[in-house]
Amino acid sequence: MKVLAAGVVPLLLVLHWKHGAGSPLPITPGNGTCATRHPCHSNLMNQIRNQLAQLNGSANALFILYYTAQGEPFPNNLDKLCGPNVTDFPPFHANGTEKAKLVELYRVIAYLGASLGNITRDQKLLNPSALSLHSKLNATADVLRGLLSNVLCRLCSKYHVAHVDVAYGPDTSGKDVFQKKKLGCQLLGKYKQVIAVVAQAF
Amino acid sequence: MERARQLEKYLCKMSVLQTWLVQALFIFLITGSIGVLLDPCGRINPESPVVQLGSNFTAVCVLKERCMDYFHVNANFIVWKMGHFTIPKEQYTIINRTAASVTLTDVTSLNIQLTCNILTFGQIEQNVYGITLISGLPPEKPKNLNCIVNEGKKMMCYWDPGRETYLETNFTLKSEWATEKFADCKTKRDTPTSCTVDYSPVYFVNMEVWVEAANALGKVTSDHINFDPVDKVKPNTPRNLSVSNSEELSSILKLTWINSNIKNVIRLKYDIQYRTKGASTWSQIPPEDTASTRSSFTVQDLKPFTEYVFRIRCMKEDGKGFWSDWSEEASGITYEDRPSNTPSFWYKIDPSHSHGHRSVQLMWKTLPPFEANGKILGYEVTLTRWKSRLQNYTVNDTKLTVNLTNDRYIVTLTARNAVGRSDASVLTIPACDFQATHPVMDLKAFPKDNMLWVEWTTPSKSPNKYILEWCVLSDKSPCIPDWQQEDGTVHHTYIRGYLAESKCYLITVTPVYADGPGSPVSIKAYLKQAPPSKGPTVRTKKVGKNEAVLEWDQLPVDVQNGFIRNYTIFYRTNIGNETAVNVDSSHTEYTLSSLTSDTLYMVRMAAYTDEGGKDGPEFTFTTPKFAQGEIEAIVVPVCLAFLLTTLLGVLFCFNKRDLIKKHIWPNVPDPSKSHIAQWSPHTPPRHNFNPKDQMYSDGNFTDVSVVEIEANDKKSFPEDLKSLELFKKEKVSTEGHSSGIGGSSCMSSSRPSISSSDENESAQNTSSTVQYSTVVHSGYRHQVPSVQVFSRSESTQPLLDSEERPEDLQLVDNVDGGDGILPRQQYFKQNCSQQETSPDISHFERSNQVSSVNEEDFVRLKQQISGIPQSCGSGQMKMFQEVSAADAFGPDTEGQGERFKTAGMEAVLDEGMPKSYLPQTVRQGGYMPQ
Repeated sequence: MKVLAAGVVPLLLVLHWKHGAGSPLPITPGNGTCATRHPCHSNLMNQIRNQLAQLNGSANALFILYYTAQGEPFPNNLDKLCGPNVTDFPPFHANGTEKAKLVELYRVIAYLGASLGNITRDQKLLNPSALSLHSKLNATADVLRGLLSNVLCRLCSKYHVAHVDVAYGPDTSGKDVFQKKKLGCQLLGKYKQVIAVVAQAF
Repeated sequence: MERARQLEKYLCKMSVLQTWLVQALFIFLITGSIGVLLDPCGRINPESPVVQLGSNFTAVCVLKERCMDYFHVNANFIVWKMGHFTIPKEQYTIINRTAASVTLTDVTSLNIQLTCNILTFGQIEQNVYGITLISGLPPEKPKNLNCIVNEGKKMMCYWDPGRETYLETNFTLKSEWATEKFADCKTKRDTPTSCTVDYSPVYFVNMEVWVEAANALGKVTSDHINFDPVDKVKPNTPRNLSVSNSEELSSILKLTWINSNIKNVIRLKYDIQYRTKGASTWSQIPPEDTASTRSSFTVQDLKPFTEYVFRIRCMKEDGKGFWSDWSEEASGITYEDRPSNTPSFWYKIDPSHSHGHRSVQLMWKTLPPFEANGKILGYEVTLTRWKSRLQNYTVNDTKLTVNLTNDRYIVTLTARNAVGRSDASVLTIPACDFQATHPVMDLKAFPKDNMLWVEWTTPSKSPNKYILEWCVLSDKSPCIPDWQQEDGTVHHTYIRGYLAESKCYLITVTPVYADGPGSPVSIKAYLKQAPPSKGPTVRTKKVGKNEAVLEWDQLPVDVQNGFIRNYTIFYRTNIGNETAVNVDSSHTEYTLSSLTSDTLYMVRMAAYTDEGGKDGPEFTFTTPKFAQGEIEAIVVPVCLAFLLTTLLGVLFCFNKRDLIKKHIWPNVPDPSKSHIAQWSPHTPPRHNFNPKDQMYSDGNFTDVSVVEIEANDKKSFPEDLKSLELFKKEKVSTEGHSSGIGGSSCMSSSRPSISSSDENESAQNTSSTVQYSTVVHSGYRHQVPSVQVFSRSESTQPLLDSEERPEDLQLVDNVDGGDGILPRQQYFKQNCSQQETSPDISHFERSNQVSSVNEEDFVRLKQQISGIPQSCGSGQMKMFQEVSAADAFGPDTEGQGERFKTAGMEAVLDEGMPKSYLPQTVRQGGYMPQ
């Protein structure tokens, strides 16, 4: 039940993404079903690296902007409240093959995308005046969406991987305000940590 | 209360319901009625056609049976109309009894009203149905699709829509990733060539974009473009550009700015431009120096103490995408440096110098900023006479007046700013006795590119520098020169001061040598010429009969506005065409020739520069009728001739006074003073008169004045006339033997003449002697007398002796006074007239008495043949002819005339012969009948 909840709720969140919501899901395993709308660009890996660098370059600012926007006690208790203690975060192994890294990256991005969707939704309710944070969250979500497209395109076009099993974080809709803020802060802390590793890995 | 309230509510609801029902019923009825009324008799298929321009179109009209029956028509009665124009039957096709089609070929109108009509009752045209045929073109494939991502904004794509379709055409921008599709972007009606997508661009993900154009006639898609949005970015402008200088280096400025956030995503390159303040053109920092992301840059090789203006823009490092807009301009001033050049330096000596000293004004120009390299704090002047240092001056102004001796001086000038001093500018002021030499040669000045250029040939001796001085030449203001300095290597430059157009500038070039200035050379020039402000005023200097000398003054330099190249003189008469004469500008007078005398001329004059001319005022003058001296040339000779003639006449008259006196106022003897005692004692008694002796005794008679003295009886004169008539009659009838008183008097006058000519011993005696005789003609007319017979007159009346005493004659006249004396006075006058002119003969025609006198006079004249010129003889001859004609002697008059003529000629030819009356008449063959 927990797994179901963990899978369905993020799915619903993902479906609320603006463009191409839930796009990773249609990808189905198999050899001949890895079809794209138009041929993938040959410069995909470079674009992925740039996207990772872009995310990595903005992750810390996003983290700071987030906990600053949450107010006390978050700024002064980052270790306790914003530590990267996300247990179900997808693993990433920087020393794997490109395909493996891309698959793991796909999962990480999918996980982050869903989580960022939850955070964005919560923050619009909890901190409706934190427009800069909202904008930053949206921009990060857009980049993650583009990165996901590129990774999928790369997996599909080069490795013919049409389906990757993904896992999503916990649904925060039922939690209290503090928990929402805390989970969000923890995720962004994790995101900052992971994205730096991933950017280095590519 | 509650029930009442409920009732009230119920009633209210019922009322509302009732209203609704009425309204619904009304609408139902109206709709039904309209449905019946609007039910057409047929329909056209298709009902809303859209056809392509130039294509064919077929429409079918199907009639309803009800109408066909009602109107008794079928498809044959269908008439197609396009607007008000009936389509020809040839374009119809009868499909069946109820349907007919029409085909429109090559539809060119964009909007056609096509109606189907039927002819009811054979003639009445009734509309059945109508459609609007819309035509246009299918959309063309959109071209040149491109997109731009303004940083921080959403992506906008734009394209060329292609040709006009004349139809409502929708353009849809479609975009997608390889893995997903984005929402379509539909263009707005006012911007059909661009569309801004709704989503934020995601960098580093390629997307495919295309445009779909669609209208009623088709749909077409542009080429797909695939790009990474980051390659279409137009970054935001770098902001907060600032400029700072360095005290260490006066040639650098450091720029700093803040990049846009895009620098976190992409690498940037920059474009930095700069210019000095006030300049219009920008210089650019080499692109390779700014090809990477940065937020500051140091610009080098700038001029000291110069304000520079900078601006910057950026774009993606690889050049993909778009340049950002230019930043706001920022300016900064480089730090000062020592003056890089010496000031222009010149001097002017006051001409009114005192003995042994002279006042010299040293003057210099401020250094331009690019040479001053800072704020000039002052100037230092050093005066040196020979090699001994004299004095230093520190001046803040640009001139210094010093009193110098007449010796040679060397002056140095340096400019000083906060950093240091300029090099010294050295000028030699020569001694008073210095003779300037080596002027520049071939000095020219000409305008070019709105500047006044000066050009010269370098003198043989190389100068250190040149000084150019110029001033405006004006009659109203003095020449206040401005000046500039040029390097010694220069041989052409332009005047750098402010110059006005249409002003005459006097430009002087002075070479400056080490030992002093050379000889100056000047030239006049205009920056831009214009037509003169005023034309020359022409006037006449001298006006002749056929020419006029015009003169004018040179135009003042203030109104010339240019170099006067030539003058044109326009002159004309009142009615004549204008004549133009070009005159060289060096002249100030001109002679107009070939003018008409006594004519009014209007003349004006125009002066021309290179840019045009200006007419002066018109001047009028009139040529005289006569040339100068012409009147004198005519009058003087005429007067002289008149005077000469008069003088000659007077001399002639003086010489011939006796003769004139005889003819004009001869001495008339006064009978009252006659003395019988003086009568010639030798005269024979009257009764013993011998005609023969008398004839010869009168041989010396030179002149005779005969006056018939009669009694002062008025009646006697008519008697004389009667006797004259009788005498004439007798002559005609009896061959002219005269015996009457008149005849005797006439003949008696000739007789004494002849006889007196013989008696030349004493004129006194002769004049007092009166011998009357009667000439007895021996023949008349053609009858030649055999012997001339003279008979002595029986009259013994003494002659008047008035010749010696004319006063006595006058007295007699006064005494007589009456009419009876008048014929005698006339006689004398007529006698005189006959000698002068013959036409006065008309007097003789008035009376026969006068004629008789003429005859008498003729005889007298014949006695004077020897003393009368030939012309006088011919006058006599003419006289005779006319007298004869006046007497109307009959048919033989002509013959007689001839004879008279012969006699006259003979009389002239016989000049010199002895003055004898008889021989003449004898040779003539007879005496002329009276």
